[in-house]
Amino acid sequence: MQENLTKRSSRDRRAERRCKLTLLAALALGAALIAGGLWGLEQFQASGFDQESGFAHVHDLAGPIDGLYEAGIKPLLSSLGAAQREVLDGKVNALLVSDWTENTGEDQTARVERTLSAYEGERRSRMQMELLSVSYAVSGPKVSTAQKKALAALDDGRRAALRAGLLAAIIDETAPLPAETAAGLEGLSGSERKAMLMQLFFTSVNSKNQPLPTAQINELKKSVRDGQARLSAFTWAAEGSVSWLRQVLVSGSRTAILAGILLAIDVALLTLLLYMDHHWEINFKWLAILAIIDFMLVFQVLPMAYLMIKAFFPEGSFTFEVFRRLYTYSMNLGAIRNTLIASTVTMVLGTLLAFPLAWLVGRTNMYGKKFFRFLFVLTYMVPPYVGAMAWLRLLNPNVGNINQVLRVLFALGDGPGPLNIYSLGGMIWVLTTFYYPYAFITISRAMEKMDPSLEEASRISGASPMMTVLKVTLPMMTPSLIAGALLVFVCAASCYGIPSIIGAPGKVHTVTTRIIEYNSLGGQGISDATGLAVFLMVIAIVILYVSDFVVAKRQYITVSGKSTRPNIVDLGRWRVPLTALVSLFAVLVILIPFATILFTSFKVDVGKLVMAPGNFTTRQWQTIFSRSETMECLKNSLIYSVIAATVGIVVACTMSYLLQRTRIKGRKLPDFLITLGSGTPSVVIALGLIMTMRGNFGVNIYNTAYIIIVAYLVKYLMMGMRTVVSAMSQIHVSLEESSQVSGASWTQTMFRITGPLIFPSIAAGWFLIFIPCFYELSMTTLLYSNSTKTIGYQLYEYWTYTSQPQACAMAFGILMIIVGLNFVLNKLTKGEFSI
Amino acid sequence: MSTVTVRNVSKAFGDNVVLKEFNQTFADHEFITLLGPSGCGKTTMLRMIAGFEKPSSGEILIGDKVVSSDKVFLPPEKRDIGMVFQSYAVWPHMTVFENVAYPLRIKKMKREQADRDVERALEIVHLSQYRDRIPSQLSGGQQQRVALARALVAKPTLLLLDEPLSNLDAKLRESMRFEIKEIQKALGITVVYVTHDQTEAMAMSDRIILINRGVVQQVASPEEIYNRPVNQFVADFLGKVDFLRAEIRDGRAYLDGTGQSIPFSGDKMGRVELAVRPERISLSTESGDLSGTLESQYYLGDVNDCRVLVGEKRIRVVAPPESFARMKPGQQVYLTFREELAFDDDGSLDEKLKIVT
Repeated sequence: MQENLTKRSSRDRRAERRCKLTLLAALALGAALIAGGLWGLEQFQASGFDQESGFAHVHDLAGPIDGLYEAGIKPLLSSLGAAQREVLDGKVNALLVSDWTENTGEDQTARVERTLSAYEGERRSRMQMELLSVSYAVSGPKVSTAQKKALAALDDGRRAALRAGLLAAIIDETAPLPAETAAGLEGLSGSERKAMLMQLFFTSVNSKNQPLPTAQINELKKSVRDGQARLSAFTWAAEGSVSWLRQVLVSGSRTAILAGILLAIDVALLTLLLYMDHHWEINFKWLAILAIIDFMLVFQVLPMAYLMIKAFFPEGSFTFEVFRRLYTYSMNLGAIRNTLIASTVTMVLGTLLAFPLAWLVGRTNMYGKKFFRFLFVLTYMVPPYVGAMAWLRLLNPNVGNINQVLRVLFALGDGPGPLNIYSLGGMIWVLTTFYYPYAFITISRAMEKMDPSLEEASRISGASPMMTVLKVTLPMMTPSLIAGALLVFVCAASCYGIPSIIGAPGKVHTVTTRIIEYNSLGGQGISDATGLAVFLMVIAIVILYVSDFVVAKRQYITVSGKSTRPNIVDLGRWRVPLTALVSLFAVLVILIPFATILFTSFKVDVGKLVMAPGNFTTRQWQTIFSRSETMECLKNSLIYSVIAATVGIVVACTMSYLLQRTRIKGRKLPDFLITLGSGTPSVVIALGLIMTMRGNFGVNIYNTAYIIIVAYLVKYLMMGMRTVVSAMSQIHVSLEESSQVSGASWTQTMFRITGPLIFPSIAAGWFLIFIPCFYELSMTTLLYSNSTKTIGYQLYEYWTYTSQPQACAMAFGILMIIVGLNFVLNKLTKGEFSI
Repeated sequence: MSTVTVRNVSKAFGDNVVLKEFNQTFADHEFITLLGPSGCGKTTMLRMIAGFEKPSSGEILIGDKVVSSDKVFLPPEKRDIGMVFQSYAVWPHMTVFENVAYPLRIKKMKREQADRDVERALEIVHLSQYRDRIPSQLSGGQQQRVALARALVAKPTLLLLDEPLSNLDAKLRESMRFEIKEIQKALGITVVYVTHDQTEAMAMSDRIILINRGVVQQVASPEEIYNRPVNQFVADFLGKVDFLRAEIRDGRAYLDGTGQSIPFSGDKMGRVELAVRPERISLSTESGDLSGTLESQYYLGDVNDCRVLVGEKRIRVVAPPESFARMKPGQQVYLTFREELAFDDDGSLDEKLKIVT
């Protein structure tokens, strides 16, 4: 019986054979791509180009050149007799030689001969013509504007006759010239005349007088200046029409190698996973998994691995030199110390704040719980630098409002102080007020899911409510507490916005600010930045490992499908005092900073009160709304974050389907990579992308919008994914199965049942990716170019270089947009979700 | 016409074989119950008929159409069957009416015709007045009826029910049992019903297929499977039973551990296991085949549930309720087996009764 079962059906055997053949074919294709790419790379290096982009333009030109020949030249050539053809070939050859000699200043007869020797007959004359056309397009004799106008006025029939006439004049110098061109040829003779005739011939092919597209020709001119490389470029362009495969391989050699390697990795991975699965069948699920893995491999693993390798092999050989230099330099040591102290203290303070707040808001009868919950979570959506700006205004040693109040209260005189934001302590304070919501959200989620009967059992055993919190609730929360605390630590350690605004003026450096500083130096600075980034990367990976694989295993809380209503602790006579305490906290940490930002945005002189005479102005607001640059940045931010959020949510939905609805072995792998990406500090992601995405590994998105979007995706994809996955896990499979059994196909089921049911979470997931992308600063600082500035970076520039009130107006504007979006989300999901 | 033919179907998940060589034909209009402890493979069998699982080997036919074999596999949506799930699986984002109309909308049936059919289906399950409610406003039993209406609305000839009543409370479960049976009779459809509840199986089925550990134990009508179980597992699973080891000699059965014997008229000889059901034992305070001590008695209203110690053996007896007042624990009583079943004792009783989940 057992044998009967293991004996597979013929259907399975056929599928297995097909599957294995596909794998082999994919492997062969991968190998071919790698081999072709390597060959192309060699050709590319031999070609004398020093800029890869040159090849892209050459590649782009191949088509038009081909078109030019087929449409404009070939018909005329075929009308010529054999003798005339021979004469023409000779003359064109001579023109080539003279043109090429002019450009390089050396004799090129042999070179032209060598280039053309590979072709014979028809193909030889075609090659000649095409070479000449591209040569002349780049730098041929100049046709006067008047002449061009005259040509443009001709109709097609007249134009064809004209070209025939020109050709005849080239072949036979005594032949009469077409009337329209005579003016342009006056005073020319010999080869100059012939060259001009030829140029006129090419120019008159179409009514636009542009035989080849000007844009590509200009790009080609720019990218290949050197005479040697230029000749190669012409040859390659002309040959393109003869051998496009060769062209593709050379111009995309690195991309081909990358694609080949990816394909090989995919095949290896797929083979391993299918082998483990004992089920040899490739379907779309595998393709989805592999697509996500490939994306993460290229944009996350490759950059990280490159950073690691570069840090240890800066010049190609192994050395600790970079590390020795970096980690003995006192400023870096100070930065590391600051980072460690700040993150640790922030973690401790943040968790100490978050636990009682989560408990009060989630499990007691404190007044205004919903409102407080909204307030605390709101901080989660605020860009970190906005908090930093607010606190700077409040705690500036000289003009900070709190300092002013304190000086009056305690009669401290007019000196600076007593508090100074430009210090490690100040930075810790701002980091804490900004990052405690991370712990708050983690802990209160776990607290709300806790089975109330566990606490009831404690009460029935005789424990008081307080005792129950200490002996049952708190111990059960430990894993979430640790997870929340570690999250705060990682975020604080990899934060750039707050240290850059508060630390830099006070000379309090952190690892992130040092990385950005090193990077802006260029040259050796970049490898130094890399070396420091390794420090953050190691911290993040260790903590990610601890919180995901060690703490998660100790998770006591099992989520039951039923929605349990946690029991509410009656605070009794503590109800009013505790509410007052929490209100005070909210006023101090949330209300005052936000109000400061708002007031500052209406000030002329930041040092005076907003209501001081003549100090109130709406100028800042007018400026930001009327400046086209600001609006351009806002548009960029919106576009990038909408794209990132939309791509991200598609991936998130695919992943949650794979994780929740399939038993495919490899589904955990992309999940792992995505988690790893979100745990990596922003500056490390950005730095890695800069180093690897400039074409040196076959992908060139440097200085484009794509590199920013990719960075956003790597960093924030997980936020959306987790939301959709947890929603999907709450949809019982039978809801989908009953649709199927009702006759609905898989697609119908997804669109009519699963989709509508998890829509609120999809919307929430989309916003969870969108919001941090929208105000992102750390990665954008490294990745922006002049045309891809975002609103976050614009704000930072304003704050640092232009005007603080103006920056405050922008900050408040961003805040309003985010709160508004949150409101939309809340309405969209009928109150089920707000962030 | 909807027969279901299952030929040599086996199912393994990895190395774990959950169903071995299942061979059955379910006739048209028949109410078939797949019964067994949880994890026995009954739900897997049902899901293979529905098309949610692929058999590892063997083939399944619905009517004359092969829906699953080595070469063919029809997905669930192409099989034209109705199914009700244990968890109701009523879609929370649609009203009752929309839930029930869904299969017809998928079929792109004309709206008027569809609306009429939905109304009729709702009438059958007595839910007409709830048509515009959303499921969260309904009780469990009502939700279950929505699921039933949805399964019936497209007029399938085969209806699959996967423990549909196990989430309902006792009273409701009993009334739903009758409703389902009535609907099946009225519509004349074939029903395959999965349950682990033997009372449910007895009350509803034309035939019961009792499965344990992936192997079919017995296929028979409720009456036959109860009265003539083919092995100890079947006897134990359906109804209450006490097993007594005995030696058959000279027309008498000598019961181990009691020092007493009873007359035995069956054709078994030597070592046997006697299975006696508590309601097939007469209890008397005056005379009987066995004498013992009344250990305890519980008044259950319709019966008096007693435990009697005979030697070292404790035997359960279901006596008439009036006996409760006449007896006291500790007093001597006499038992007579009105009927008993004898199985060869091969020493594997405990192994046979073990339920692997």
